[in-house]
Amino acid sequence: MLRLVLQNLFRRRWQSLATVAGVALGAALLLAVFLLYRGFDQGLERGRQRLGADLLVVPSNATVDPDRALFAGSPLSVYMDKKFAEQARKVPGVRRVEAQFFTQSLHLECCSIGIETRLIGIEDQVTRRLAGMSPDGREKLAKDEVIVGSELLGGVGKPGALIELLGEIFRLAFRLEPTGTSLDYSILMPMESARDLAAGADGLKEVWKESGDPHGLISALLIEVDDVSRIKDIGRALEDLGSLKVIRAADTFQRLKRLMGAFVLVLADAGVLTALGGIAYLLGHFSSVAWDRKGEWALFRALGATKPRMVQLVVGESTLLALAGAALGLPAGYALYRAAFARLTAQNAFPFVAPSWGLLAGAAAAALALYAVLGFLAAAGPALRVAQLEPALTMAQGDID
Amino acid sequence: MSAQADIVLEARGVCRSYGPEKVLTDVSLKVDAGTVTTIVGPSGSGKTTLLALLALLLEPTSGEIWVGGRNTTGLSDAERSRLRNTHYGFIFQSAQLVGSLSVLDNVLLPAILAGRARASVKAARELLDRLGLGPRAAFLPHQLSLGQKRRVAIARALLLRPRVILADEPTNDLDARRASQVADFLLSLPTEGFALVLVTHDTALAERAGNRWEIREGKLTAPEHVPVVPLEWNGNRALGTNSNGAL
Repeated sequence: MLRLVLQNLFRRRWQSLATVAGVALGAALLLAVFLLYRGFDQGLERGRQRLGADLLVVPSNATVDPDRALFAGSPLSVYMDKKFAEQARKVPGVRRVEAQFFTQSLHLECCSIGIETRLIGIEDQVTRRLAGMSPDGREKLAKDEVIVGSELLGGVGKPGALIELLGEIFRLAFRLEPTGTSLDYSILMPMESARDLAAGADGLKEVWKESGDPHGLISALLIEVDDVSRIKDIGRALEDLGSLKVIRAADTFQRLKRLMGAFVLVLADAGVLTALGGIAYLLGHFSSVAWDRKGEWALFRALGATKPRMVQLVVGESTLLALAGAALGLPAGYALYRAAFARLTAQNAFPFVAPSWGLLAGAAAAALALYAVLGFLAAAGPALRVAQLEPALTMAQGDID
Repeated sequence: MSAQADIVLEARGVCRSYGPEKVLTDVSLKVDAGTVTTIVGPSGSGKTTLLALLALLLEPTSGEIWVGGRNTTGLSDAERSRLRNTHYGFIFQSAQLVGSLSVLDNVLLPAILAGRARASVKAARELLDRLGLGPRAAFLPHQLSLGQKRRVAIARALLLRPRVILADEPTNDLDARRASQVADFLLSLPTEGFALVLVTHDTALAERAGNRWEIREGKLTAPEHVPVVPLEWNGNRALGTNSNGAL
C-alpha cells in the first residue's frame, strides 16, 4: 500500500512538490514564531530574575532607556555619589540595595566579537546572588577575580583562567549563564577593582575631572522593596534623597511584555494563517484529487480494494505530503529563527534566551505530529467520498492518466 | 467432483433497474470452470450491466448472484471486495491502466490492494514475460501501444490466479489482426482451468467462443453452443509481436 502511495506521489512530482512547499512554508513560520516567542518569554523572565530588584535608581541627568537598562542589561555610563547607596538602605520599606559601577568598554584581543565588552563593578551581595552559577558556590570575589558573561572568552573561559584587562591580570571565577542581554558580553568584578581600573584609564580622565574621584562614585542602585504595593511611596522617598531618577521594574516589565506580546501575536497570526493556508491547500488538493482521479479509485475498488483501504490510500498520501512538508519546513523555520535571533542579539533590543535543544526537539516533534493530524484531517472528507465511489464506474471509463 | 462444484459463477433470476428503467429482467446464467461463456448483443442491450452484476460491481435489484457455490446477497462491502480481488480477473473495455504506475506495478495492482505485492512480483514478471512484455516492465502505460496495454490488462487479470476472467469487449479498438491475437490468447485460458466470461459485439470473436448467450432488451436467451476454437499459446509468436514487443 505504501508502495502505491509513494509511486503516486513520485509520479505526480510537481503536484506533490507544490503541496509540500505550501506546507513547508507554514511549518517554517510556525516553528520560527514559536521559538522566538519562547526566546522572548524566557529572556524576559531571566532578565527579571537577574535583576532581582523592583526599582532601578540612576542620576536624574542620566538619559536612560528603562527597557534596555532593566531587561536588556545595557550598562549606564553615568555616575552619582556613593552616599546614595547608604541613604537608600535607610528608606523605610527598602529591603535590599545593590550598587553597581560601570566603566569603559573593552575589546578583548583574545575574543573580539565586534561588540562592546563592559566592565561592571559589583558588591559582594551581588556575588552571593549569583553564587548558584558558580561551580564552587563562591559568595565573594577576590580583588583580582572576575565573573564573565556567557558569550565571552569562548573555550578558554574556564574557572582559574588568567585574563589581562587594561594591563592588570585577573583570574576567572566563573562564567554566567546566558541571559540574552548585554550582560552576556560583560565582565563583573569587585567594585573597588573596577574603580581602580577606571581611575587609571586614560579615556575616562575627563569624566573624573567632572564627576570626582571614581572611588566615591556609583552608577546605579538596584533596590528590592518589602511590599510592592507601597512601591510608589518608596520611589518618591528615594527621589527625595537628591537628584535621582527612579524606574519601576514592574511597569517596565509589563509594558515590555505587552509590546512583545503584540509583536509575537502579529508573527503568530502570520504563522497560523500560513499554516491554515497550507491546510486549505491540502484540502483543496485532495478534494480535486478525489474528483480528478475517480477513475483510478473506482478501478481500485473494482479490483478489490475495501472502503477502509481506499481511505488509507487517500489519507496516506495526504499525511505523507504533510509530513514531508513539515520535515522540510522545520529546518527552514530553524534557520529563520536563527537569523532573527542573530539580529535581535546584535541590537540588544529585547532580552532573548535561545531555547534549549530539548525544547527545539520537542517543538519539532510536536510540529510533525500536528501536521500529520492536519494532513489526516484535510484528506478525511475527500477520502470518505472516494470510499463511496461505485466500483461499477470503472466499466464506463477509458484509460486513467 | 460434483457438477455443482464446477459452477464457479451463477446468476439466478437477476433483475436490475435504474430508477423506473428496467435494464435486465430475470436473468439466469451458470458459468462452469474451464469454459468460455460469451454474451453477445447490440449496444445498450444490458451486456455491460450483466457483467457488472456478475462481477459484484453492482448489486441486483432482485435475484441472486452465487460465487463458488456461495450466495452473495447481503454480503458486506468488505466480503464483496475480497471476492472481487481473489475470485475474479477483470479485463475492461479499455485497458484501464493507471498512468502513474509502471507496467509491473499495474500488473501487481490486485496484489498490492490485497497486501501481498512482494510475494507476487515473481508471478507478475513471469506473466509479463509470457505475454512478451518482460522488457517493458518499467515502462509507463503511455509508452505502450494499444495492443501492449491490452496485454498488460490481461496479465493483471491473471495475476492472482482467479477462478473467473471477466472480459468486457476485450478486442475493442484493436485492428483485426491484433484483435484476433488477443482473442486467441483469451480463448486458450480455459485450458488452464480459468472460466472465461466474454461480453462482446465482435461477431468474429463470438463465433469462436463456447456457450453463446444473446441478450436483447435486458433478456437473456438460451445458449447456443459453439465449439471453442482454442489456439495453442506460444508467447510472442502467437501474439505476433515484433522484436520490440509491439503488438
